[in-house]
Amino acid sequence: MVGLENIGKRYGTDAEILHDVSLRLDPGGFYFLTGVSGAGKTTLLKIIYLAEPPSRGRVTLFDTNVATTDRAAHTALRRRVGIVFQDYRLVEHLSVRDNVALPLRIAGAPEREIRENVPELLSWMGLEGKLEVRPATLSGGEQQRVAIARAIVRRPDLLIADEPTANVDDDIAMLLVRVFERINKLGTTVLIATHDIAFARQFAHRRFHLDKGVLSVASDRAPTR
Amino acid sequence: MIATLRLPQQLRLELPLRQDASGRFLPWVIALIVYLSVSGGLALIWLSDALHGWDAAVGGALTLQVPADTSTARLEMTLGALKQTKGVVDARLLDTAETAKLIQPWLGNSFPLDSLPLPRLVDVQVDPDVAIDFATLRRQLASIVPNAQLDNNTAAPSDVPRFAGRVEWTIAIGIVAVTALLVAIIVFAARIGLAIHRSLIELLHLLGAADEYIARQFQIHALWLGLRGAIIGGIAAAVTAMILEPAAGRLALPVPAVSSGILDWRLWLLLCVALVIAGGVAMVTARVTVLRQLARLP
Repeated sequence: MVGLENIGKRYGTDAEILHDVSLRLDPGGFYFLTGVSGAGKTTLLKIIYLAEPPSRGRVTLFDTNVATTDRAAHTALRRRVGIVFQDYRLVEHLSVRDNVALPLRIAGAPEREIRENVPELLSWMGLEGKLEVRPATLSGGEQQRVAIARAIVRRPDLLIADEPTANVDDDIAMLLVRVFERINKLGTTVLIATHDIAFARQFAHRRFHLDKGVLSVASDRAPTR
Repeated sequence: MIATLRLPQQLRLELPLRQDASGRFLPWVIALIVYLSVSGGLALIWLSDALHGWDAAVGGALTLQVPADTSTARLEMTLGALKQTKGVVDARLLDTAETAKLIQPWLGNSFPLDSLPLPRLVDVQVDPDVAIDFATLRRQLASIVPNAQLDNNTAAPSDVPRFAGRVEWTIAIGIVAVTALLVAIIVFAARIGLAIHRSLIELLHLLGAADEYIARQFQIHALWLGLRGAIIGGIAAAVTAMILEPAAGRLALPVPAVSSGILDWRLWLLLCVALVIAGGVAMVTARVTVLRQLARLP
C-alpha cells in the first residue's frame, strides 16, 4: 500500500532531517510511528500524504510510483488518503457539517449523498446536534472528532493521524485509538504518529520508531488484520 | 445597491473570498475602468458620426466667387470652363436671392441687401474620388474673370479627418490601456487572495482538490466582481450619455456634436460588450493567475 525506499529529506541547504528511511505499510494494517518532537515524524507523514516531495529515494503509494505520475494522478491518490492534522485544520467559516462534507464536495459527490452520510457519521462520532455550529465554539475534543470525521468521510484506504492524542487525557486518547481501530476493522490502513512511546506500547500494533531522522522497527508484531 | 449584491447560494465558495477587502474596492475600480472604456467607445462613435456628417455637409463642393459686375458672357464662359474640367460634376450659378439668403444670417433681416454689390456665386459639385488640378483651374478661371476667387471646401477639412483619425487611435489605445489595467488589477487581487488564503488552499489541495476546483472558486468570485463593476460603470456611462445628448443638441454647430443618445442601439451594444469583457477578462485572468500559482504546489 505504502512503500518508502531510502528516503532522504532536507529543506534547502539545511542538514538532512530524514536519512535513508524505508518502510512498508500493508493493506489493512494498523501502525504507530513514534519519536520525540523534532524526530521528523510530521515530515515523514507529509511525504506519505504527498504534501512534500522527498529529496531522494522512492515513494510508492497504492502501488503507484509518485515520482513518475502527474499532478492529476497525485490528486487521485490524495483522495484515497484521510488525514487528521495535529492542529485539526478545521475551516473556521464553515459549519461542522460543511467541514466534514468538504472532502465529498471536492470529490464531486452529489449533495443528496452528502445530506445523508454526513449527519450519520457525525452522529456516530457523538456530534449529533453540532452540525450547524462553527468549529470555534467546540471543545478541543469535539474539534478533534470533527477532524477525524472529515478524514474518514470518504472511506479512505489509508488514514494518517498526526499526534491525535497529544492534547487529550489518557482516557480520551484510549477512546480515540479504539475509534481508529473500528475504522481499521472496516478495511482502512491506519498510521498514527505520536511522541508518547509508552502510550503506543499499550497496543498490539506494529510500531516504527524515528530517532533523529533514522527509522527503526520498534515492534515487529503483525498487523491486527 | 448593486455593489452589495451577493452570489447565489448554489455557487458555493469554500474559500471566504467574499470577505476579502478586494471584494469591497475592486468593483469600484472595475466600474471606473468600464466607465472610461464605454465613454471612450461612445466618443469614438460620436466622432465617427460627426465626420460622416461633416463629409455630407461640406465634402464634394467648391464655391466660385466672381465680382458683381461680371458680364453674362464671362459668366457663361466660366460655367463652361468649370463643366469641362475633369472631376467637376456640375456647376450652377446662384441667383441673387439665393446669395442674399446666404448672407442674411450675418447682416440681419433689416439690412438693405439690395444696396450692396453682392458677388455672384457658383456652386460647383465635384467628384470626391477625382483629384482636381486646382492651380490650372484657377489660372484658367482668372484668364476669363481676373478677380475670380475659387474656395476649395474639400481642401480645408482634409486635415479634419486626419486629426480625427489620430483622436480615434488615441481613444482606442486608451481603451486597450484601461483593459490592460483591469488585467493587472485582477492579477494583483488574485495573488493577494492566494496569499491570504494560502493555508486553506493547501488544506483543500491535501484533501484532494484539483487545481481546477480551487481556481474555479477564484474565477467565480472574479466574474461576480467584474459584472458588478461593469454594471455600475455602464450605468454611469449611460447617464453621462443622457446628460450630454441634450446639452450638445443645444449647440449651434454645422454638424451634430452628439449624434447618438440613450436610444442609440450602439450605446446598448457597447454596454453589453463592456459587461461581457469586464466579466470575462476578470474571470479568465483570475483563473490563469491562480492555476499558475497552484502549479508551484507539490
